[in-house]
Amino acid sequence: MMPSGKLARMVVANATRSPKHFVLSAFGIVIGIAAFVFFLAGTLGVSDVLLGKVFPLDQVEVIAPHTSIAGKNLSQKMNADTVAKIKARPEVKDALPRMTLQFPATGYGKFEGQEINFEVGGFTDGIPDAHVAGDPKLEPVFKDWEPDGKATGPACVPKTPNNCPDKAWQYCDASDNMCHHRVPVIISPTVLELYNTQVADSHGLPHIGVMEQFIAERGRDRMHFWMGLGSTMMAGSNVSIDAAKHREVGAILVGVSDKARRVGLTIPIGYVERWNRSFVGDKAASEYSSIIVTLRNKDKLATFSQWLQDEPKLKLEDQLGASFATAMFVITFVLLGIAFVIVIISAINIAHNFFMQVTERRREIGVLRAIGATRADVMAIIVGESAIIGVVSGTLGSLFAWLASLGVDWALEHVAPKFPFKPDSLFNFEWWIFASAIGLSILFCVLGGLLPALRASRLEPAAALAQN
Amino acid sequence: MVSPVISLRDVTKSYGQGSARTPVLRGVSLDIAPGELVALVGQSGSGKSTLLNIVGGLDKADSGEIKVLDHDYGKTAERELARLRNTSIGFVFQAFNLLDHLTCLGNVILPAAFAAGGKDAPARGREALDRVGLSAYADRRPSELSGGQKQRVAIARALFGRPKLLLCDEPTGNLDSATGHEVIEFFQKINKDDGVTLVIVTHERRVSNIAQRVVAMRDGNIVEGAGTDVHTAGTGDDLGGPA
Repeated sequence: MMPSGKLARMVVANATRSPKHFVLSAFGIVIGIAAFVFFLAGTLGVSDVLLGKVFPLDQVEVIAPHTSIAGKNLSQKMNADTVAKIKARPEVKDALPRMTLQFPATGYGKFEGQEINFEVGGFTDGIPDAHVAGDPKLEPVFKDWEPDGKATGPACVPKTPNNCPDKAWQYCDASDNMCHHRVPVIISPTVLELYNTQVADSHGLPHIGVMEQFIAERGRDRMHFWMGLGSTMMAGSNVSIDAAKHREVGAILVGVSDKARRVGLTIPIGYVERWNRSFVGDKAASEYSSIIVTLRNKDKLATFSQWLQDEPKLKLEDQLGASFATAMFVITFVLLGIAFVIVIISAINIAHNFFMQVTERRREIGVLRAIGATRADVMAIIVGESAIIGVVSGTLGSLFAWLASLGVDWALEHVAPKFPFKPDSLFNFEWWIFASAIGLSILFCVLGGLLPALRASRLEPAAALAQN
Repeated sequence: MVSPVISLRDVTKSYGQGSARTPVLRGVSLDIAPGELVALVGQSGSGKSTLLNIVGGLDKADSGEIKVLDHDYGKTAERELARLRNTSIGFVFQAFNLLDHLTCLGNVILPAAFAAGGKDAPARGREALDRVGLSAYADRRPSELSGGQKQRVAIARALFGRPKLLLCDEPTGNLDSATGHEVIEFFQKINKDDGVTLVIVTHERRVSNIAQRVVAMRDGNIVEGAGTDVHTAGTGDDLGGPA
């Protein structure tokens, strides 16, 4: 067998001596590999946005199925036992309960000089403080500041300019004329995105990029608002709450977290438990509306879903994420299938080109055999030439795909309208995509060159040299 | 006893199959001693080139014993046979068989690609070109050379590995008379100076005239100058003289 260094030199020299042949052989593979890289990076990038930001699949929400007879809600309720049962599952990393505010409440205040009113009852969840543990910006502020419901500050006079010592974090509560800590509120990236894309422009409000930066620039008091517990903006509400129970509490938006409910507000669960108990009753203070389950990884979703199907009292809140995941899988499969077909056809083209070459180079092969090349050497030379085409085609294909992605991303930024979760790039070029593209290119080129190489190696030198 | 460089016993070879089967060699036996310059003559189709190819390991015999440079082809692996061609046997063809995409030097040192080492290959290649008087043409392409120059580059390639045996198939067939004469003289020189054994397939009387032995073939048989007696007789004294 000829030394590898000499083989490499001969292969490179042979592969590049006929640019026309090289281009003819490589063209199809370049297109196929470019399609492969473009589609794979594209579907991966879109999946990252859809399944990473919009529908995170490693985090699912479990609810009790809704059942009702004659308009009466007979749904099973979830409690601490349900949380413990879910936590015991091997595929579950963590399970944290949510409790929805079960009585009417409104939110109101001024933002950038505009009066803003919104419904809070039914749109506010309580979650354990531990849910945001690990987020250094939220962990110090998102907590139940008054676990026993008692004021943490001194006495004050309500309905006057805030006269509490810490004006940023305290408000004067009219229910006991005491300074209380404002209720910390977080919102989801979805709410922020909806605000930026759907509300801000139409209402002449500023865009909010990074919430913490916005707060730092404009001041924390801009994030203040009031929650009117017991009151509602909805006409026709059948719930009637004793006016004496009505209460105004100060709230403060402290940040954005993907742990927050997708649409609505999220506060520490202790507040919701106390308020539900006060406004609805003890039962409402122990029943969870849903349980957020963090899986060990996305692949465990199928196993967990199967277990839930066997549990009549539980089900996944929505399977939109899973549906998108399935859709993305099918789309990826189809697109990669197209790329593979192109590559396979190109490999057949390479085989055809090399068969022609072997015929044209019979005398050359005969000479090589006459001066000491073995059958294996001849085979290695032809296979090596096809592998070189594979390396170059794989690299060029990857490069073209990357350039095309730059064009698409440019169009996305400058031509496409704004939409929620609009990413900076639709593509995710992981290193392994390039590695597998070049590997695939080499594989198919070598496969294409294999049969011609075998034929070349089987040529009898005397017969090859006798060619006219 | 001098062991022959080439020893053939009852070598047969046919082409085609069934009714189209055509015998080309019909039990050829031949011995060639070290340092001999043998002319293999005969009409077209007599089996000369086939015999030369079989001796060089470029073609396979159907039957018979073939021993070349102490290698019994029946027991020699393909890889070993290739190594033998690389190191000990040189070929010169009527059609030159130079590779047009390589320079003259590239053609000459091509055998080095199939052997380990060889850092001195370019220097040795230039030396071989110098021997054939073409050192100034090292970087030219074969397409820029005349027929005689091409054949001399082919000879330089054949001599690059310092072979013990040179097999030439009609080396002057494509050359004019004067150039052919030069080539023949060169063969005579390397036979005399280097002791290289030469087997030259030829139609030309001039080659026969300088050969120490003329082996004549007709219809796949050797009809003159087989010299097998020297092998069996076991004396080297009978070798070497013209047939």
